[in-house]
Amino acid sequence: MTRFNRRSLLKGALTGGTSVCLGLPLLDQWMGAHGETLSGGQPIPTRFGTYFWGLGLTDTPAGGSRWVPTKTGYDYDMMPELESFRALKDKVSVFSGFRVIGDGKPNVVHWSGHASILAGGAPDRTGEMIGPSFDNKVADAIGATTRFRKLDITPTGDPKANYSTRTGSAFATPETTPLALYTRLFGEGFQDPNDPNWAPDANIMLRKSVLSAVGEQRRALMADVGRNDQIKLDQYFTSLREIENQLAIQLERPAAAEACVIPEEIAESKKSITIDVVNKNTRIMAKLLAMGLACNQTRVFNFVHTPGTSTTYIAGEPKTYHQITHDEPTDAELGYQPETSKLAGLVMEGFGIFLEELNAIEEGNGTVLDNSLVMAFSDTGYAKIHSLENIPVFFAGKAGGRHKAGQHVRMEGEPVSRLSLTAMELAGASAGEFGVGAMKSSKLIEEVVSQGGDNAI
Amino acid sequence: MLRRLIIPGLAGFAAIGGLLSYTAFAEGGKSSSAIVVASNELATVLAPEELEQVGERESFISAYRRLTESQYRHAIADIFGDDIKVEARFEPERREEGLQAVGNAQLSVTTSGLEQYYSLARSISRQVVSAERETDYLPCDVTSSKDAARKCADEFVQEIGGKLYRRPLTKAERTLTLTIWDASAEGKDDYTQAFEHALTSLLISPEFLFRTEVAERVDDSDAFQLDAYSKASRLAFYLWDSPPDAELLEAAARGDLNTLDGLSVQVERLLDSPRFDLGVRAFFTDMLHFESFETLTKDTMTYPKFSQAVADSAREETLRFLIQHLVDDEGDYRDIFTTKKTVLNRTLAAVYNVPYPSREEWTTYEFDEDTERSGILTQVSFAALFSHPGSSSPTLRGKHLQEIFQCTKIPDPPADVDFSKVQAIEEGTVRERLDAHRTDPTCASCHILMDPAGLALENFDSLGQFRTLENGDPIDVSADIFGQEYSGATGVGEYMKSNPQVVSCVVQKAYAYGKGRKNDYREGQFLNSKTEEFADAGYQLKDLFRSLLTDPKFYEVEVPEGLSARTDSASLTTKAPASGGN
Repeated sequence: MTRFNRRSLLKGALTGGTSVCLGLPLLDQWMGAHGETLSGGQPIPTRFGTYFWGLGLTDTPAGGSRWVPTKTGYDYDMMPELESFRALKDKVSVFSGFRVIGDGKPNVVHWSGHASILAGGAPDRTGEMIGPSFDNKVADAIGATTRFRKLDITPTGDPKANYSTRTGSAFATPETTPLALYTRLFGEGFQDPNDPNWAPDANIMLRKSVLSAVGEQRRALMADVGRNDQIKLDQYFTSLREIENQLAIQLERPAAAEACVIPEEIAESKKSITIDVVNKNTRIMAKLLAMGLACNQTRVFNFVHTPGTSTTYIAGEPKTYHQITHDEPTDAELGYQPETSKLAGLVMEGFGIFLEELNAIEEGNGTVLDNSLVMAFSDTGYAKIHSLENIPVFFAGKAGGRHKAGQHVRMEGEPVSRLSLTAMELAGASAGEFGVGAMKSSKLIEEVVSQGGDNAI
Repeated sequence: MLRRLIIPGLAGFAAIGGLLSYTAFAEGGKSSSAIVVASNELATVLAPEELEQVGERESFISAYRRLTESQYRHAIADIFGDDIKVEARFEPERREEGLQAVGNAQLSVTTSGLEQYYSLARSISRQVVSAERETDYLPCDVTSSKDAARKCADEFVQEIGGKLYRRPLTKAERTLTLTIWDASAEGKDDYTQAFEHALTSLLISPEFLFRTEVAERVDDSDAFQLDAYSKASRLAFYLWDSPPDAELLEAAARGDLNTLDGLSVQVERLLDSPRFDLGVRAFFTDMLHFESFETLTKDTMTYPKFSQAVADSAREETLRFLIQHLVDDEGDYRDIFTTKKTVLNRTLAAVYNVPYPSREEWTTYEFDEDTERSGILTQVSFAALFSHPGSSSPTLRGKHLQEIFQCTKIPDPPADVDFSKVQAIEEGTVRERLDAHRTDPTCASCHILMDPAGLALENFDSLGQFRTLENGDPIDVSADIFGQEYSGATGVGEYMKSNPQVVSCVVQKAYAYGKGRKNDYREGQFLNSKTEEFADAGYQLKDLFRSLLTDPKFYEVEVPEGLSARTDSASLTTKAPASGGN
C-alpha cells in the first residue's frame, strides 16, 4: 500500500461527501518500521504545527551571534538565546543561514520573512501573501479526519495575530485567550474518546442536513459573481463543509485515545501583552493544545506567540520590544544589543514552555512532542536592520520518528522554502516542490529526514 | 431637471402586504423593468469592455460585503427584538485605504468564524422559538395539524426570510428552507424543532451574512444600476448601520428608490430618525480605527489609572461627542478639532482630572478656556490609541493625524534604515530622542509630515493625561508645520481647522465608506464638487450624507473582474421574472 492510495481514498471521500468512517489502509511507510501504536492497536498520528515569534534573534553584523551554534550536526552547543529549550535540545533541530530571496520584490518589513516561509515566495505588500500558507496543505493531507482540520492560537489577545491563509489575503481568526481555546476544544461538540457509554446524538444528523441544504445553494450563488467574490464564496462553502465534517465525526464512535484526559475548566485570564503574561498564557494554551492533540481533536495547529512587529514589553518599561530592537545601539564591547538580546531570551522562553507542555503528555513509547513536528520561525533574522538573511528556524519534535532531531544544520544562502518543503515531508504531506521563482525548491534537507527504521523515538 | 416617470398602473405593482407583495410583480414578465422609463438618470452606462463582460445578463452580483458585528447585532435586534442574546466573538475586519468598509471587500468567513456564526444561529433560533419568550414569533401553534403547521412555516419563512435577506426570497430559496422544515418535522407532532432548524438555515446563509449588491440592466439599454433592494440596503446600512425597515423595503418594491423624488423621501426619513445616530457611530468607529480598542492595553505600573473601563469610556466619549456636536448641535465639522466641549462620565473625569458635575451617567462638559484640552485630538481615545503601552508616541499620533483626518498616506519606513542615528537616551524629552528624524534627510522626508504635530501633542501622555514635564524636563510643544508656527494641542487644532485637506478627506471617506471600495482617481472632480457643496452648507455632516446618498453616482455599478461564466440564461437574482415569484 502506498501513500498515494491512502491519499486518493481520503480525497475521494471528501469530494464525494462527508462520510469519514473509512477503512483506511495502514500507513506502512509512516508506521511500519518506526511508527508508534497504542495498546488498542490504533496508530498514533503525526501532528504538525507552526510556532511563530516576532523580531528574530540576535545575530549582529559585528559577528556576535547569540543563537547560531558554532558546531553543526548532533550535539550542538547551546547558545544564550536558545537556553530555554536546553532540556529538550535532543528533540530540536536548529537551522541557520537560510534566507528570503526577494526576486526583486521589496523587503516588506516584519512581513516578508514569514510570508515567504509560509507561501513560498516574497510578498508584494504587508497583509498579503502570494498564495495559501502551507499549513493548509498539511491540514488537508493529515487533518481531514479530526474534528478540527487545524487550530489557530495566539496568547496575545490579538485576533489579527495569525498568518494562516487559504487565499493569500484573508487570514484565519485565532483563539486569543485560554478560555476561548478551552471552549473550542472541550466545550460543546467535544466527545470523550474514552467514554464507554458513547452513543450518537440523533439530532446531529438533522443538524448536518441543515448545513448540507445551505451548501446546495453554492452553484446558484457562484454563477453571477466576479473572481474576487468567487474566492470569498468558495471560502465560505469550504468553511461550511468543514463544519458539516465536524458533525459527521460526532456521529462516529471516537477512537480511544489513552493519553486523553479532559482538562478542568479554566477561568478568563488577564488582558495584557507584557512578556510575563504572554508566556503565562502560552503555558496554559500549550497545555490545552497538547491535550487537544492527545484527544484527537486536531492534528494541525498554528501558534503565534507574538506577532511580527512585536509590541510585547517588560512590565513597567516605557519601550516595547520592537522599539528597543531599533533604538538600542550595539554595545561596542559585547558586539550585540544587550537589552534586545535579553528580550529575545524572554520571548524564546515562550518556545521552551510550549515544547515542555507538548512533551509533558506521554503516549505510546514517547510523548505528544515525539509524535509531532513543530516548525518554529520568525519574521526577520537580525531585527535591528530588518534582515532577511539567517532567519532562525527550528524543527521540534520527532514527527513519529521521521525527523532526525537534535542537529544544527547550517546552509548559507539557501532559501527558507526548502525548510517548508522538508517540514511538509516530515509531517506526512509530501509536496514534491514548494515555492516560486528563486525560492522554488524541490530538495529536501536530507540531514534531518529519516530514510528508514533507524530513528525510533 | 428631468424626473423619471413612474407608471403606477403596472400589473402586480401594488404593495399588498408590504414585503411579500414582491411575488406579484415578478409575474408581469418584462414589465418589472418598466418601472424605470424615460431616462437613465439613476443608472450608469457601462463602457464597451465592461458590457462585453456582462454579456447577455440582465443582472449580476457586483459585490458581497460581510456584515460587520454591529450590523449583525442591529439586524437581530430589529427582526427578533433586543431581548435576544447575541453572544459570540466576531472575526476581525480588515482595513484598507484607511477604511474597514473598503478592506471588507477582501473578507470571507473562515472556519472558526463560521463556527461562531453557526453557534449563534442555533442560539438565536432556539431563543426565537422558545415557548418562554414573551413575544411569540411563531405565527401559529407548533402542535397543530401538520398541514396547518406547514402552511404557517411557509409564511414564517417568507416573512422572516425576507427580513433577513433584505429582499423577498426566491421560490428556490423558499422551497429549500421548507425542505429543511420537512426533514425536521418528519414523524413528529411538535414542530418547534422544525421551525428552529429552518431559521438556523436562514441565519447561516451567505445571503444573510453578506450584503449582496445586485446590479440590474435598465430596460433594454446598456445601462446598469444597483437594483432597488440593494439600494435599500446600502441606504439603511449607511444611515442606520442596520438592515432596511419594512417601509424602506416597500419603497424598494414599489420602485420608489429608482426615482430621485422617491429616493430623497427615504433619505430624508432615515436622516431624521433617531437611528441616524447608529449610522454616525458606525462611520466614525471605522474612520477613527476604533477596532483598536479591542487590543488596547497600557502598562499599569506606569499608568495606574488605566483600566478596561477607561478604554470603554474613552471610545464612548468620542462617539457621544461627535453625535452631540455634528448631529444634535448641527455643528461645523471643522470645529471637532477646536471645541472645548465634550461628553464625559465619572471614569474619564478622573483621567482628565476635572470634577464630575453630574448625577447622570454621562454629561456634556466644557473645559476651561485656558486649558489645552480642545477637540478630538486631546481626547483620551486619540491620545491613548496612538501611543505605546508605556510611553506616548509623537510619530504614531502624527501619522494617524495625517492618515485619518487628511487622507495622506505615509509610506512604510525603508527596510534598511540606519537606526544608529536614533539616540537611545533615556533622559530628557522625546523631542531630543527624535532629533534624527528631523536631521537625517532619509528620515526627514516622511517624518516631517508626522513628528511636528505629534510633538505639539506631547503634553498628553500615553493615557491622555495632561503633563508639562517628561523625565523631569519641561516639554516643548512648539511646532513648525509646513512653515507655520503652532504651539501645543490648541495650535494643532487650529491648524487642522484651517486645513482644506481635512474637509476634502472626510468627503472622500464618506463616499468610499458607502461604496465599499476605494475611490477611483476619475472621481476626483465629482468629489471636489461634493466638497464644495459641503463647505457651502456650513460643513454639516447631514448635508454631506444627504448630498452623497441622493446622487446617482452613489449607486453606480462597477463590473467585477472575472465575472463567472453563465451556467444558464435566466437571471438568478430575485429581480428577475424567471425566478422571482411562484
